Amino acid sequence: MTHESVLPVRPWTVALVKPLAELDDSELVSATIGGSREAFEVIVARHRRAVYQVCYRFVNNHEDASDLAQDAFVRAWRGMKTFKGESALSTWLYRIAVNVCLNRVSAKTVATEPLESTEQVADVRIEGAQHAMIREERAVAVRKAIAELPKKQRATLILRAYHDMSHQQIADVLGSSVGAVKANFFHALANLKKNLGSEP
Amino acid sequence: MTHLTPDELIDAMEGLLAADRQAHLATCDECQGQLAGLSITLNETKLASIPEPSPLFWHHFSERVGAAIDHDARGTSGPSWLRWQILVPLGVAALIILGLMVTVPKPDVRDPSLALQAPQAPQALDSWAMVTELVGDIDLDTASAAGVIEPGVAEQAVLHLTAEEQQELTRLLKAELQRAKS
Repeated sequence: MTHESVLPVRPWTVALVKPLAELDDSELVSATIGGSREAFEVIVARHRRAVYQVCYRFVNNHEDASDLAQDAFVRAWRGMKTFKGESALSTWLYRIAVNVCLNRVSAKTVATEPLESTEQVADVRIEGAQHAMIREERAVAVRKAIAELPKKQRATLILRAYHDMSHQQIADVLGSSVGAVKANFFHALANLKKNLGSEP
Repeated sequence: MTHLTPDELIDAMEGLLAADRQAHLATCDECQGQLAGLSITLNETKLASIPEPSPLFWHHFSERVGAAIDHDARGTSGPSWLRWQILVPLGVAALIILGLMVTVPKPDVRDPSLALQAPQAPQALDSWAMVTELVGDIDLDTASAAGVIEPGVAEQAVLHLTAEEQQELTRLLKAELQRAKS
């Protein structure tokens, strides 16, 4: 990833006397709109993990998640000029990612990752291998149950539980009302509770 | 008092429930049980982390995004007439024309013997015989009126007249000229 200073050849670059990696999101957006690919690369580097995680929660497998996240960033690049800065850049990127997922998931059955490939590094020194394995098995079950939720419920749960977005922000992302978001959140949790069973 | 609605249960879970509804919740075992179940499920959901990709993946991912943007830019740059929406139909039309040129038979003009034989082909003779039969009874005026007779044909016809016919033709022409003068 290139973190070079940008030469002051355009008006927006005059302020860019510090390395791109030190700029905040709004400055990076301005630089990107001004034509700096390097600035967009910093945006990608900064938000790729969160965008990937949104996508992963949706589809529950690495391959599709990486494709969807890539698609989301390409769309973000195309539409950067439409970003008004009324919300955080991360919220705007989540919105794009969720829309990409909603469009893609509607045309494709969710594929789940095999249990063997979802192994996670466990802190065996604290919890012990057995405890970690049980916890991971439960996590796999939760991820699978989430991936099987109806699309709007899934999107609402992911954005609320994992990305700490407010009901209003989620409503903006999904183009619905706050009431609808709360209803979707309630039904998502109720469905998860039913599918997972009461025993944690 | 009625039980909490789904919206109110979400508000209660997030500590935003109105005071009067909070009073109901404090005394309603059913609502308390429902709220506890939702809270447990939410906490368990939050604990379910996703597998972390390899550290190498992130660098590769950024490269993929860059390549996809380059590809996207190539697809939308350049003169408008070079875009695939234009080039594909043009290419198809060119292929059709080329195919017709290759498949439709035509006489080989480089071979003089073939060029001479062409009019005598059986198919051409049959066509000429049919035309002769159809126009055999048509007189000169009808043919002329129909535009069939070409320039020079009248002179050819005069040359084929007998002496008496030529004298009669001369007399008729003179009579017509005198009538036109008068």
